[in-house]
Amino acid sequence: MSDPSAATPEGASVIHDLGYRPYTGARRGPGAIARALVVTGFRNAFGLGRSGKSKVLPFILLALNLLPAIVVGGILVFAGLEELPTGYAEYAGNTQVLLGIFVASQAPVLFSRDLRHGTISLYLARPLRSSTYALARWASLLGATLVFLVLPIVILYAVSLLAELDVSEQTRQATVALGLAGLLALCLAGVAGLIASWSTRRGFAVVATIAVLLIADGIVSAVQVIAQEEGRSQVGEIAGLFSPYSLYRGLVGAWTDAETATPPTSTGMELAYLGMLLLISAACLALLVRRYRRVATA
Amino acid sequence: MSVLTLDQTSRWYGNVVAVNGISMTVRPGITGLLGPNGAGKTTLIALMSGFLAPSAGSVTLDGEAVWRRTDAYRGIGLVPERELSFGYLTGRQFVLANAELHGLDDPGAAAERALQVVDMVDPAGRRIGTYSKGMRQRVKLASALVHDPPVLLLDEPFNGVDPRQRLHLMALLRQMGGEGRTVLFSSHILEEVEQVARQIEVVVSGRHAASGDFGQIRRLMTDRPVQYVVVADDDRRLAASLIAEPSVVAVSLRREGGVDVSVSDFGSFAVRLPRVARQHGIRIRELAPTDESLESVFSYLVGG
Amino acid sequence: MNRTVLRLAAQALFGRRRGVVLLLIPAALLLLSVLVRLLTDEEVGVEAAVGLGYTLALPLVALLAATAVLGPEVDDGSVVYLLAKPVSRHVIAVSKFAAAWAATMVLGALPLLVAGLLLDWSQPRRALAFGVSAAVAGTVYTALFLALAAFTRHAVVIGLLFALLWEGVFGSVFAGVRWLSIGAWGREVGSDVSPLVDAAGTGLAYAVVAATLLTAAAVWFTGDRLRSFTLRGDE
Repeated sequence: MSDPSAATPEGASVIHDLGYRPYTGARRGPGAIARALVVTGFRNAFGLGRSGKSKVLPFILLALNLLPAIVVGGILVFAGLEELPTGYAEYAGNTQVLLGIFVASQAPVLFSRDLRHGTISLYLARPLRSSTYALARWASLLGATLVFLVLPIVILYAVSLLAELDVSEQTRQATVALGLAGLLALCLAGVAGLIASWSTRRGFAVVATIAVLLIADGIVSAVQVIAQEEGRSQVGEIAGLFSPYSLYRGLVGAWTDAETATPPTSTGMELAYLGMLLLISAACLALLVRRYRRVATA
Repeated sequence: MSVLTLDQTSRWYGNVVAVNGISMTVRPGITGLLGPNGAGKTTLIALMSGFLAPSAGSVTLDGEAVWRRTDAYRGIGLVPERELSFGYLTGRQFVLANAELHGLDDPGAAAERALQVVDMVDPAGRRIGTYSKGMRQRVKLASALVHDPPVLLLDEPFNGVDPRQRLHLMALLRQMGGEGRTVLFSSHILEEVEQVARQIEVVVSGRHAASGDFGQIRRLMTDRPVQYVVVADDDRRLAASLIAEPSVVAVSLRREGGVDVSVSDFGSFAVRLPRVARQHGIRIRELAPTDESLESVFSYLVGG
Repeated sequence: MNRTVLRLAAQALFGRRRGVVLLLIPAALLLLSVLVRLLTDEEVGVEAAVGLGYTLALPLVALLAATAVLGPEVDDGSVVYLLAKPVSRHVIAVSKFAAAWAATMVLGALPLLVAGLLLDWSQPRRALAFGVSAAVAGTVYTALFLALAAFTRHAVVIGLLFALLWEGVFGSVFAGVRWLSIGAWGREVGSDVSPLVDAAGTGLAYAVVAATLLTAAAVWFTGDRLRSFTLRGDE
């Protein structure tokens, strides 16, 4: 087939066939596909790359989440405080409702949407395994949740540097907070993703995720508060294993200077908390992959 | 007698005019609402069924406006394009619920009758979620028929229905029209409209392009050449002599035999053709119009 | 009130998955009550359990119920089958509200009463007060969420932000929120039944009037939105 973009040699005549031409260039491997999916998903979680209306909710939630950080930073500067009124890691504990709503409302965008409208078959008709798809979507949600969690930490850190607080101390605290944020994000992304892929109606998935996250945490907090009053902090420590938020709070209490209800006191308990966070994340991820494998073969 | 009348009806959304000054009367019998996608067919049906208010003009059923008159639904049966999402109900439960909502005296009997008419009595005990597309269309039709309405509005009823069930549906519609009901259905598939309705309303980009029997519409288009195919025993000589005629615009020889003739004035062509043939000693075997079809009418109206 | 609409709404409520979650929420509350009872006899236990049930479980149940009877149908347009009938739109709205309200009462308010009894059966009047507060608040929540569901596709998230962020987080920080907080109105009514329930400080008359007005307005608004429902084509 002649190439329309090549020059016509002198003296010769040619007619180019401008009909359908297949793609003959290089094709990238499944790694590139997965990468592209992760990036697109991450952008979609914030409404970028979609219609204007879908940007409203995530950005409002993000702004509401960052507002207290800015306020706290302002207080730090203007009141000339010696240290941040709210620790880096405690911040997420305070804004857990917003975080929960964000994760719950954006997970359906990434998971339920394709399952509900059947476009999942378009994705799987490519050289893309269903497990890769599930992992890529989960990674997008993880990234979005991390942004939600990390931005306030960054803002607070920047403010504390500008206020010339002790750099090494702040850096240490911020690093611990970042690590904890990563663990929490892993957990939340897993839970929300699993629920969203299980229930294809968006509104129902949101309520179910919130119910699971906040009610479990509510029960655990209630038990912990009571246990603390009663002086039976062991009960509170064990209860803390049963909800992602309480696991996070527990580790915050153990690893930073913050005051929380019944933080794990022994190294064994701390490891149990850590292990539980990772276990929940891994279990949710495994179930998610299994669900998509079932959908792919259905 | 139930007559739907649209009088200078327009509907716009901000700067977008979906329906542009349409006046039409839908009488008893079957009327096909024809138009390309996005022409405003669903908007028109929404206007006629009282789910949309006209921005200008009026939409009336037997003289009274349909908008916000919930009583009007006693006399209207609507089969929307939207899918049924009551997947957890069985077909029978759904039709029965519709019958009860109409306040019928014996909803059970009415539901059974409606199911019988659409031939869905056997599968009626299964959940709608398990139905095929054609079965869902029939259940939708049954729910619209359950209160025996004199007016039936169907939005793209043949969409996605397999051929056998489509034939069934078409027979059903013809039966409804024959009973004296006012049946209006929209479609962008010409063959379906051709087989069911003789009266058509053509809507293009929100404007009323044509109305009436499509054969008559065809004949109204006198400024466009009419196409005929003439098969004779000597095509080339016939073609050569026909092109000399003032009423003939173009001739072309068909590979499989015969001459395609484009005619600008078929009246005088009809008079001249036999004379030309006799004059040159040519025997004519076949003479047929090739564009007396809804498709050519449509493409002319749509393409301009 | 239309029995058929009521029946259809009830069937939509207890479709398999939704029914499971609807039942799990009060079950979780009762579980907590039992746990608390086992752990302590102190006041703090009652506060914690009832707090969870009232500020979290009740709005969630109301949200789930309200968006179940109206949300999916309006979203994909199947509500047109209900609307192309000679039934007044307000009757349809009231019937749907009735179905969601019944679910909220049984699965949101009643469990709070039971939890109150479980936690401290020497104070039945206080348990009754919990139940009454929840009944009042649940009614208003259901009506409000139903109106939201008729109005926007994002009803769930907006409802959550209202109940959890506005009433929960802001309500615990700013005292003025109580004038616009359904939970506060409910508590005000409850404190009239038993002085052991903390009043919110708005006065009984205000709470009752506000609750009634908002409920009536929301249900009327739902009916009005249904009247303006339009058939959408392939846009």
